[in-house]
Amino acid sequence: MTASLHLTDVSRTHEGAPTPVFTGLELHVASGAAIAILGPSGSGKTTILRLIAGLDTPDTGDIRINGASVLARPPEQRGIAMLAQRPRLFPHMSVLDNVAFGPLMTGAPRREARRQAEQYLDLVQLPGLARRRPSTLSGGQQQRVALARALAASPAVLLLDEPFSALDPSLRADMHQLLLELRALLQPTIVLVTHDHQEAVLLADTIAVLIDGQLQQQGTARQLYEQPASITVSRFLGCLNEIPGKLVSGCHVSALGHFPVPQAEHMPDGPATLVIRQEAVRLVDPTSTAATVIGWVERMVSLGARSLVEVATTTGPLFAEAPPGQIFGSGDMVGMVFPTEQCVLLPDPVMCRGVRGSALLAGRRSNPGSRSRHLAPESTWAER
Amino acid sequence: MSPRTRIGRVVALGSQVSLSVWFVLPLVPVLLWAAARSWTFPHALPEEWGLSGAAAALADGAASAFVSSFILGLMTAALATPAGAMAAYALTFGRIRHERRISLLLLAPVFVPPFVIVMGANVALLRLHVPSSVGLALVLMVTAIPYTTFVMRSAFASYDTGIEEDARTLGAHPLHVLLRIRIPMLSGALTASAFLAFLVGWSDYVITLLIGGGQFVTVPIRVAAAASGTGNEALVAALSVAAAAPPLLLLLTLNVMSRHRSLWRRKAAEPQAAAIFPLIGANS
Repeated sequence: MTASLHLTDVSRTHEGAPTPVFTGLELHVASGAAIAILGPSGSGKTTILRLIAGLDTPDTGDIRINGASVLARPPEQRGIAMLAQRPRLFPHMSVLDNVAFGPLMTGAPRREARRQAEQYLDLVQLPGLARRRPSTLSGGQQQRVALARALAASPAVLLLDEPFSALDPSLRADMHQLLLELRALLQPTIVLVTHDHQEAVLLADTIAVLIDGQLQQQGTARQLYEQPASITVSRFLGCLNEIPGKLVSGCHVSALGHFPVPQAEHMPDGPATLVIRQEAVRLVDPTSTAATVIGWVERMVSLGARSLVEVATTTGPLFAEAPPGQIFGSGDMVGMVFPTEQCVLLPDPVMCRGVRGSALLAGRRSNPGSRSRHLAPESTWAER
Repeated sequence: MSPRTRIGRVVALGSQVSLSVWFVLPLVPVLLWAAARSWTFPHALPEEWGLSGAAAALADGAASAFVSSFILGLMTAALATPAGAMAAYALTFGRIRHERRISLLLLAPVFVPPFVIVMGANVALLRLHVPSSVGLALVLMVTAIPYTTFVMRSAFASYDTGIEEDARTLGAHPLHVLLRIRIPMLSGALTASAFLAFLVGWSDYVITLLIGGGQFVTVPIRVAAAASGTGNEALVAALSVAAAAPPLLLLLTLNVMSRHRSLWRRKAAEPQAAAIFPLIGANS
């Protein structure tokens, strides 16, 4: 079972709150598609799921599932199921009865509901646990049962609210794989809410970036990373390099000099920020003719196999990811290569030089999903 | 073991023994009297054993008093448990104005002397021509509500309503959520609260006497009449033992049931049953 989902002009202000969670929200998901709503904590992601589920009511706008408005329908009649961060299994029922709950509530006889539940337990690879109580299962097993319980209700739309964020990395990877397999098999429409970029990229066809109640951009992971719609999106996705300047006849002019950007030929002249992801920047010998910018290594932070190199330049600090084996010492002179096709010009006005630096650092601190990991305290300085 | 720890253990053990003696000691003469045919001063123990006290109690109408008390206890539990649960739910999850004042009002029967409530209620009920049985049920319910509300509030404090939302999204109608999720999950607390309400009805004296207008001869009324009138200690003792036995049996049964439940609930995230039973000593 699968269905299209449309949210049109949806607004919601929580009772007593001074500002709305969001206004005029538009979200369209094709039948059988998976969309990830990616955003920091408090951006209103969960509220969207609660509105779709019927656990909360929008102030304005419409929510349609398979073309029909569901606003007047209670949660149990919307054809949805929700999987939250915590499994919230019914502690007084066996694992089998937990999974059979959905079919039973939709009118299946108990024997039939249990038979279906067994099939779903097989699907989530937990066939031997049917008679156990939820309290005797591990966290990962409980979340698998919760997934089986949600799927057994045959939802047209499956709502996932940061479902794997409480699991350890290896369990999370297992659950991602399981969800991908189940998706291929059952093809429900999926709305996933997460603050984890990797999870969104892995599980969803399209990603909608929600920041401060505004849907900033919606597109495939590639579109988001290669063509962020704004500085806000670029920053949220972890891009560290922002070079303020202006666009003059398809050329970005900044403290670094003139930098031709072919894809900006059709953009009008005016203030523009050049954005390039640190992963796209190559570090070369400063004498190399390929070097776009020359600077001095400030510090090098280990990211595991790769390292993040901070380079002091005339426009302020810029960042590049160095591959394994490329090691620099503090004060080394390096050349930075900006592949033209990876550069993005954004018309957002950026604050003046010094303020931008501190804003960037503040962003790193307040945004655990992206930049903070680069300067995590446990990171070690690389020494030559 | 350090001397301090040793002293601590001795003090703890001493306190436990003293408390046990303090609780058990008053019961000893009652139990002895209930099984005594004759026991005169200066003998330390009854001279003759027998169940003449029980026989006298039965002849005195103990059986019907027993039934009356039982009905009164069940009625109080049946009324005060759902009322307390609903009040607790509203106070925990509802948006209620003057929540503190309402909580205080619900607790009033505990700290206002019962006869004050009874005298006021009696006049009002008589004026309103409310039958005494209905009046008795209503007033007993009011006196039991503080206990049931208190127990259910602590249960709701650790109750995650998210689980009900999950049930709704899985297709459950609100009534199904109530019957299949909320009541089973709160069964421990509901049992504890029903037990307390039963005790209020079972052991009440003042309200039954005044509001019931002498129509309801319960065990406490029978015991009080026998204790103040006959001078037959064996009869009074037999009645007292009879009055104490049903609640104790009920407590033991609930304890066994709760232990049985806790076998599969031990790790479950529902601390309410565990949090409640220590209140009445049913789940050590």
